[in-house]
Order: sequence, then structure tokens, then C-alpha cells
Amino acid sequence: MSEIPKKEDVEYWRWQEYHRVFSEKQWKNKDIITAGVDVGSVGSKAAIMLDGEIYSWGVMRTGSNSPDSAKKALSWAMEGTGLRVDDLKYIVGTGYGRVNVPMANKAITEIACHAKGANYIWGPSVRTVLDVGGQDIKAIHCDETGRVTSFLMNDKCAAGTGRGMEVFADLLKIPIEQIGEFSLKVEEEPPPVSCTCVAFAKTEAMGLLRKGWSKEKVLAAYTHAMAIRMGNLIKRVGLEKEFVITGGQSKNVGIVSRIEKQLDVKCLPMPDWRENGLDPMIAGAIGAALFAKALYEKEQKS
Amino acid sequence: MKSQSEEKKYMPELSEKEVEELRKAITDTSQRVVAENIEKMKKADQNRPEAMNYFDEIADFAQREKEIRAAKKEGKKVIGYMCLHAPTELILAADAIPVRVNSGWYDASKLGDRIVPVEVCPMVRSTIGAKMIALSPYLELSDALISVLTCDAMTKLGEILSDYTPVWAMTVPRVKDSAQSIRLWNEEIKAIKAQIEALTGNTIKGKQLKSAIERTQKATKAFRRLQDLRKGPPVIMGRDAMLVNQTYMWDDIDRWTEKTEALCDELEKRVSQKNWVCPTDTPRVMITGTPMIWPDNWKVPTLVEEANPQGILVADELCSSERLLYDPVGVDEWSISDMLNAIGERYLMASTCPCFTSEDGNEDRINWLLTKIKDWNIQGVIYYVVRGCMLYAMEYTRVKKVLDRNNIPVYYLDTEYTREDVGQMKTRVEAFLEMLSARIDI
Repeated sequence: MSEIPKKEDVEYWRWQEYHRVFSEKQWKNKDIITAGVDVGSVGSKAAIMLDGEIYSWGVMRTGSNSPDSAKKALSWAMEGTGLRVDDLKYIVGTGYGRVNVPMANKAITEIACHAKGANYIWGPSVRTVLDVGGQDIKAIHCDETGRVTSFLMNDKCAAGTGRGMEVFADLLKIPIEQIGEFSLKVEEEPPPVSCTCVAFAKTEAMGLLRKGWSKEKVLAAYTHAMAIRMGNLIKRVGLEKEFVITGGQSKNVGIVSRIEKQLDVKCLPMPDWRENGLDPMIAGAIGAALFAKALYEKEQKS
Repeated sequence: MKSQSEEKKYMPELSEKEVEELRKAITDTSQRVVAENIEKMKKADQNRPEAMNYFDEIADFAQREKEIRAAKKEGKKVIGYMCLHAPTELILAADAIPVRVNSGWYDASKLGDRIVPVEVCPMVRSTIGAKMIALSPYLELSDALISVLTCDAMTKLGEILSDYTPVWAMTVPRVKDSAQSIRLWNEEIKAIKAQIEALTGNTIKGKQLKSAIERTQKATKAFRRLQDLRKGPPVIMGRDAMLVNQTYMWDDIDRWTEKTEALCDELEKRVSQKNWVCPTDTPRVMITGTPMIWPDNWKVPTLVEEANPQGILVADELCSSERLLYDPVGVDEWSISDMLNAIGERYLMASTCPCFTSEDGNEDRINWLLTKIKDWNIQGVIYYVVRGCMLYAMEYTRVKKVLDRNNIPVYYLDTEYTREDVGQMKTRVEAFLEMLSARIDI
């Protein structure tokens, strides 16, 4: 009996897991070292801060076990720094799996953390934050200190979220990191697909491909529909400048540019996270680490 | 062969076996849910008032079911109702037992899907499902049902239930403050009185009606005393108060009044000892919107009071709780016609249901919400809507505008008759409470 060798499947949806340390900074002489661990439905993120200044972070895929993902993300953020969990004065867990962060001293919702983190990344002028997570989207209003003043969240389905994009990357065989640029390679913007529901949109997309649409056009139609959905959420909560996008989809230029067009607003420029800038995907973890510092100080006072 | 008139208009014929199996499955889940809910409520207040024991017991439908069954054996009639506009004084005056029959069973709503589309209000779908498998003792024991035509779903629900039980529809005028509306409604009250008399064989005379009004007035007094105690620092968990309020829908009215007074006595002692159920800076929350019905639909109050950070429910504006009994029947002259007019007025004018409109829209509800916010010192409002509940969903836009102007945070929490979205709802509720705590910190 001879077997046909299995072809190694390319996982187009798989995004790059990575970690970064600002190794020019020293942690040994710092008073308050805190961490934020953001366990999302798709990605787990951890950030380490020294006296409220970012030092390192790690971004990886959430596994089937939340506590495990939390631990791994935190170790990933500390890798190569010589830091141990015992060195961390206070840890805040956030994200969908926030109650399953075993080493956390406290859990805070990702809504509060993203607002706080966006305030840290872009500064006090931020008033509206759109967080596009793996399985939900949140539109958040905040004040100049990064405190939430109101928010809206989409319902429980994964439509118009990072997970939806992963499904499309796989379907169209386009690496997830390039999906945004790909969706912009159309001469004319096609009408949005009629349904952003991941399951139905997939069927609809296959129909369009069969009709002879190019991959780019199908992707543009889907991205367009997602952007409308997100834009509507922003409109409902009320758009106030400055406006920023956090979460994994902030890296999708196809989404960002379409939302900007729909709302007739420019997002604050995205930091160059591949170089020395901060990654908007870790806004929640940064916010959590900042809350950790405030909570630690409060504890010391009392 | 069945005659045309016996054929069911809506409901399917289910086999005895299927009914039996479904009822057992849902009853088992429900009993577990009741036990869990009460267990959580006990844990939430380590020093829970002793008077709550009674309400825990009556929260299990089985006990009251037994009593009602025994009363029926002695010839008493049971009259069920779906909306609060049903004049219970008339039922009591005819020596019959009033009981509200709306369903809170999540799983029963999935059975209702076989009869009506999923877009329909899940409380109504659940009531249909409960009827399909004879799940609700109160619905089963009802000799007749009063269906007040408030919203569209309720209107059709009455029609569907009439496949099993005589249903008396009452047309409620949508504009409540016009002369012709009041005339129509008073006629409806008289007509329902005649129906009740015919079913029970008891004529409602002045003496019985006066006594019935006095009994509900006493209940109202106890009820108000409880809600007033919640105006100050938190002396009772919101879920406990809500359970007390809910049990009024099926309990014996006089016993309920007595037990509620006893609870208030206990709470007053706690107030004098400054014995609070949670820190006094816990965010004070009010819920308004779609009714929440025991036993399953308890997730929102549970989420609020078990959230991190914690919130405390100090008031609600729900027709399943604080709208039940707040307004007494105000009688000037104890003549039968005056009493009937007073009943008519109480069940029409006092209601803040969004089925009403007027020149100023449903302004009564807006004003009542603002009054509650002020008197109960509310720091945040959760606007709760189940999908398919059109009227509450639509009225949100106006309520939000008013609350925004008054600088009261409000959060629109939409959900379904399901346990699946509890995790996602938890994030929303906690983020809202974090926001309120941050406001309080200032």
C-alpha cells in the first residue's frame, strides 16, 4: 500500500506571534514593576511596565486553556529580561479570560483597559476608541485621563471581527498580514456583501468567486461590510475626536481606511510597532498594567 | 372525530410521551436554577434577613401549587393574567384567586419557536412553550385568562392560549388621558367584572369589592414600605427585594402582606444598627425595561450584584417588580360605581408601560424614571431589553436623551432567553460598573 504524502497546509490565518523588550531600559533600579495580561478570545497579550513606563510585551495566540495562555503570554513578555513573576508587584488580568488569569491580583474589563491603554499610546487627546477584538467590537468614549465615559459593544456573534478576517484569509488563501492591502487592490470599491455573519459571508463569498469576482474584489466587499458595521457602532456611541483603533484589526489597512472614509475622520497615526513604536494590539495589556500600578500604590497607602 | 370548534388554532398536537419528557427535562433544569439562584442570594448577604426564608420557600412554585389545588377542590376559581392592567381586586372580590402566568423559563422559549418565529418576544415564546408542555402550574390551574392587549406579542399570545383556556381580552387604549379612552376602559372593567361573576357564580357587591380594595391597599402599603427602605444606604440586596416583589404575582395576598411587613420590621432594625449589606459607596443601580420573570430570568440582577466591581440594585422600573403594586386604588366614595372607576383609573393612568403614548409621548414613564433616580439616589441605569421587545427597545432612544441631559449614565443591555451570553454580558455589566465606580471616586 502506498500513501500519497500529506501536503503541509499553509495556515494563512496564522498571524505572527512576537515579543519585544526595550533592553536599553533597566528594571533593577525601578520601584514598581507591574504587568497587564489581556487574554482575548483569539490573542493573548502581556505587557510589563516599569514605574508606569512600557518595558516589554508579548503577543501570542490564545490556546484552549485560558490560564495556560495567560501564563505563556506573561513568560513571553518577560523572556530574556531576567524578570521573574515574583518581581512583579501587581498584576491585572483583562480580556474575555480575565477571571482565568491565575497570577492576577485583580481583574478589570478590557473596555476600561483599552481606553486607558489608548490614552497611554496616543496621549490625552483621545476621546473615541474602537477596539476590534477577535470576537467582538467595542466603541468606547473616554476623557483626557483615559477614563471610560460611555461604551457600546456588538452582540455575541463574530461578525465584523478579527476571527471573521481569519476565516477569510483561509478561504481566499491570503496571508492574514497582507489582507488589508489586498482588499485595497481594486479599481472601484464593490458594494458590501449583504451579510457580515461569518458563516453566511463565507457562502456568499464562494458564490461571488464562482461568478468570476477576483479575490481582491471579494475581500474588498467583505471588508467594506465589516467597516460599515464598525462605523455604525461608532456612530451610535457618537464620534468625538481624536479617534483611534486598537486590537488586532488596527493593523488591517483595508478596515482602517474604509472606516475613516465612512466616518469622514482620520485616525491618529498608528505607531510604527514594527520598529520602536507601541503595538495598538497591546493597548488592553498596557491599560491593565497601568491600573496595576495605581492599585498597587493605593494598596501601599492604606 | 373532532368538531371544527375543538380544533386548535395554533397549537400542535404533541404526544403524551413527548410532553412528559420535555416537561421533565425543563422542570429538572428549572429546579436546579431556582436552587442555584437562592444559594447565590444567600451567599451574597451573609447576614440575610430571616424573613427571607419565607420568600425562598414560596419561590418554589410547588408549595403554592398545592394550596391553589386544594382551594380549587373546594370550588374556588383561578383567574390568570399576563399584563398588570388586569384588575385583581375584581378577581379577589369574586372570591377567586388571581395569579400572573408570564413565563421565565429560558428553555421553554425554544419550544415556542415551533409556533411563532424567533423574532417574537422570548417571554411570550416561553409562555407558549410552557403551555405546550403544561409546565407552569399557574397557567395550568387557571380557569380563565385575562389578556390585556398591551403590545402586539401579548395580543397574539392571548389568542394562542385560547386553544386551551377561555381567554378574556381587554382592549387597553393606547392614549390614556383622553375622555373617550377612560370611557372605553371603564366599559372594559365592567365587562370583565361580568365575565368574572359568570365564571365564579359570585356577584361582586359593594361589600366584597371594598374588602378586596382594602386588601390590596394593605399590600401596597407593605410594598411601598419595602421600596422606601431601599432609598437609604443598602439594607437589602436588590435580588432579595426583587424576589419579594415577584412572589406577589402568585402568593396569597394577605399572607404576602404580612410576611413583607415582617421583613420590613427586620430591615428597620438593621437601619437603626447601620447594618448594611454592602459598602455604602457601592454603585447604586436601577433596572428598567422588559419584565424579568422568575425562575430562570434572573441573570441581570445576579450579574450586577456579583460583578467585580459590585453594584447594588436599589430600584427598578419593571412591570415584573416595582410597577406591580406601587400605586393604590384611590377611592373617594365607597359606592360600587366609584370603586369601579377608581379601579379603572389605577390600572390605566398609573401604568408607565411603553404601550402608551400621548401628546407628549409616554411622558409618565420619563417622569417616573427621573423621580426614581432622584429619590433612590440612582447612579446608573441599566436599560434591559430582550430581543423582540419592540416597545421597550424603541423607547430607549428617548429615555437615553433624557438621562444624558440629567448626567445619569445608562447602558442598553440586550439579550435573549438564554444562558449562553452570560460571559459577554458580564463584560458589559462590569465595564458599566467600573465606569460608575470611577465616577464615584472623584
